[in-house]
Amino acid sequence: MTEIVLDTLGKDFGSFTALRDMDLTIRDGEFMALLGPSGCGKSTTMNMIAGMLEPTRGQIRFDGKRIDGVPMAKRGVGFVFQNYAIFTHMSVRENLAYGPKAQGMSRAEVTRRVSDIAELLQLTPMLDRRAAGLSVNILQRIAIGRSAAVEPAIFLLDEPLSNVDAAFRAVMRSELKGLQRRFSQTMVYVTHDQLEAMTMADRIAVMDHGRLLQVGTPLEVYNNPSDTFVARFIGSPGMNLIPARVDGDTAHMDGIGALTLTAAPGTAQVLAGFRPEVVHPDDDGPLAMGVEIVEHIGARTIVHLRAGETEVKAVLDAEHTAPREGQAFRFRVDAADIRLFDPATGAAMKRHG
Amino acid sequence: MASIRFQNVTKRFGDIVALDDASFEIRDNAFFCLFGPPLSGKSTILKLILGLETPDTGGIFIDGQPVAHVSPAKRNVAMVFQNLALFPHMSALDNVRFPLVERKIPEAQIRARVAQVTEKLHIGHILGKPPAQLSGGERQRVAIARALVRDPAAYLMDDPISALDARLREETRVELRRIQQEMQKTLVYVTHDQEEAMSVADGMAVLESGRIRQIGTPEDLYRQPNSTYVAEMLGAPRINVIPGDMAGVIALPNLPAGAARIGIRPENLRVNPGGGEGTISEIEPLGAFTTLSIDARGQTLKASLRGQPDLQTGAHVSLSVDPARAHFFDAAGNALAVDA
Amino acid sequence: MTEIADIPPPRTETPAPPDREAARLGFRLTLPAQLLVLFIAVFPICMQIYISLTDWSPLDGIPWWRAHELWIGLTNYSDLASDFRFWGALWRTLFVMLVCVPVQFFLGLGLAILFVDEFPGRRIFYSVLLVPMMVVPAVAGYMFFMLFQSGGPVNDILSAFAGRTVSIAWLSDPDLALAAVIIADIWQWTPLMFLILLAGLVSVPKDQQLAAVLLGAGWWRRFRTIILPRMKTIIIIALAIRVIENFKIFDTLYIMTGGGPGIATETISVYIYKVTQQELIWGYVAAIALAILISLSIVSAFAIARLRRGS
Repeated sequence: MTEIVLDTLGKDFGSFTALRDMDLTIRDGEFMALLGPSGCGKSTTMNMIAGMLEPTRGQIRFDGKRIDGVPMAKRGVGFVFQNYAIFTHMSVRENLAYGPKAQGMSRAEVTRRVSDIAELLQLTPMLDRRAAGLSVNILQRIAIGRSAAVEPAIFLLDEPLSNVDAAFRAVMRSELKGLQRRFSQTMVYVTHDQLEAMTMADRIAVMDHGRLLQVGTPLEVYNNPSDTFVARFIGSPGMNLIPARVDGDTAHMDGIGALTLTAAPGTAQVLAGFRPEVVHPDDDGPLAMGVEIVEHIGARTIVHLRAGETEVKAVLDAEHTAPREGQAFRFRVDAADIRLFDPATGAAMKRHG
Repeated sequence: MASIRFQNVTKRFGDIVALDDASFEIRDNAFFCLFGPPLSGKSTILKLILGLETPDTGGIFIDGQPVAHVSPAKRNVAMVFQNLALFPHMSALDNVRFPLVERKIPEAQIRARVAQVTEKLHIGHILGKPPAQLSGGERQRVAIARALVRDPAAYLMDDPISALDARLREETRVELRRIQQEMQKTLVYVTHDQEEAMSVADGMAVLESGRIRQIGTPEDLYRQPNSTYVAEMLGAPRINVIPGDMAGVIALPNLPAGAARIGIRPENLRVNPGGGEGTISEIEPLGAFTTLSIDARGQTLKASLRGQPDLQTGAHVSLSVDPARAHFFDAAGNALAVDA
Repeated sequence: MTEIADIPPPRTETPAPPDREAARLGFRLTLPAQLLVLFIAVFPICMQIYISLTDWSPLDGIPWWRAHELWIGLTNYSDLASDFRFWGALWRTLFVMLVCVPVQFFLGLGLAILFVDEFPGRRIFYSVLLVPMMVVPAVAGYMFFMLFQSGGPVNDILSAFAGRTVSIAWLSDPDLALAAVIIADIWQWTPLMFLILLAGLVSVPKDQQLAAVLLGAGWWRRFRTIILPRMKTIIIIALAIRVIENFKIFDTLYIMTGGGPGIATETISVYIYKVTQQELIWGYVAAIALAILISLSIVSAFAIARLRRGS
């Protein structure tokens, strides 16, 4: 039950700035995802919250109290490692009891906590099994249970699904989300996988090159990305961004055609953004490109379109007949689905109306 | 230029049947994908093609010729390893040249062959750089160039992109498709990621503990799975498989004879707000799609809706499905022939 | 929460099951080499057993394969049982081992713990620490021989500290000679212990230690519950190597004291050397050698059994 405030937090490693002036409030009981590619500063941020790294600038506050300088063992942080860091030479019970014992709790208290946690996580039947060789979702539960046994203020999770086979990630995601609801704990989850962030988090903080670019609910960052990086990073595939020349309320894209906008942005050059899902096949549509590659992925078909150097991805569902590779493809994009970005800064332009 | 044919091939390791009576043919120039969970026999098939293992029974034919007594070195099949295995201390060019230099081929011939392959793969401009300075996609191309420089009849890839992160995988698999279109060579590809398999392959085999469960184009397997196993292996979220007596919940009036289980893909489940037997227990908005979990009669069904519908958890909904889009299975999990 | 799905443990390479046919082929291909190794190992042992049952000596003028002409049965072994010099040497060897190995272990472990973390000058100290191990034992012997002379540097340093002239007769006092020998061995072989234990310490997963810290475990608890259990195997290996090596202690010692004064530092190896080179009763030597081989084998078998149970 803790609110975490990062106040102009920054970290340098020598002359390299890993994190610059990050302001972020993680609300009590919230599931917050720190999302970004490797090297974006998300792990640095988390390690500073945990106390493994000391910030170069700024403050971290838990419920209003400054926490930087407090040794990591005293912060009340539950940490779930990428590979879970289960003590494989111990039984499940010894793993769960480790924290309470280390904190010098009475034997009765240790037993009570272990049996409560085991009951909650359905680990009771395997308490006396050795932790080595258990399935990943059990390991995930032990890792969370082991941290939960000392009743931490917050949970930090470091890409716990990255070693799990693709086929099982969906199960693990829904299980993790269920665990978070049960504990109703503040959780900070670090990932580079936008799908994990979208499906599990209450809010997502998108980061790149040590900067926090946008914070919002999954749908906020999906619908209204603050800049071109977020636009490309969120979504599967990411947003199409096409250089366009604006004339009144029309955006001309070389070799493709013209988009009608809801309002005139008053700038000459823009990046016109639209999601692959809002490309509608339309034989009378104003836009035309060549079909390069068609990926049939079950319910969805991803069509890779090309005109000269410009590439556009379109996602069609099973209702549409997919075009063939090498064909010409005509389509339209509705004005409401178009986002404009400043080609110089990458920032989203204000929407008028 | 090669087709690869397995005829009743069985391979055992001790008591484990790694491959059980497998028969299939990979067409010339196909992008053929072997798909299944770990230890289902995918890698055994690769090793049999390469000649690293010999079948206990059955025959393997490359281009119609039996290869039982052809050594791995003479089979003219190339392999691209999972981690690409580029030599870090050599330039891209030396990496590509390596297989020919090792075989003591005259320099003029090496030059001609390397030029031909690198041009086709569009890597002429990066040949001077060491692998560390190349992007993931470029490294992939260099590794493929090294595999193809000997002009093999076919080349094999064992889960080549599983180590990459999600976004890079999406890009690299399209790249592989492009390369395959340009190279016009038989490619046998192993993966355990269903989305990747369906994306790249023009033909695929779904394996389960040494047995081939179904072979066909990805679209055929997705639309007409022959069993609940294949149906569940392909597609995310997973297909809903519910007992036949729940037909009422999804408004299916009459089931075909013998239908013990019904399979409905999440995108084919229609969710009608305004009361009904189902209760929405979870909403996962993904932007382009929204995944719903709907509890009905003690089961949880997944529905995948386009866009961002305005729904609340706890709402009661009725469910329906177009009978033409439902799959019917018998008690053993085999598909009923309804599409005849 | 979903029911427990059958999700395999994190991906690791699964080794292919062994192919029996391939295993048989492998056996056939390596057979000549196996026979050679077998011959090299077995032949000397058989020869030893044979000679140990005789009273053969190279001075007898008959070749060793005709030693059965001097057959005396188990007499050498019964002599051994009542050979006070042998038992004295054995006891001394064990005493040196019981002092040296634990001291080397705790010193090595302490140094390894110190060297696991980065500190200024770590690389230099690390190299310096490994020097004794690289010194040729004979050279080390001469070094300590000179150090421990009654007018040598050790006494000079002691004198400086004591403020008066100290002239301890290190190598001619029976008790002190043994102490000097032990000090030399500790000096020379602690680095090996350090090196092995450091390798073990480094291999303890960092994130498990970090996890323990985050759960509130102090240093001692972490050491006891995470580090020690994970180092068990390597500790047993390190101890086994040193016990076996220390049992054979010879070169440095022989140069320092020659086993003396008297027989004050005569260990098993020194005793065997003397019986072989000076008294030339080789049948007896073979019996001693065999007795030691058997006792060492028992110790190793015990260590290996512990290892197996541990993993």
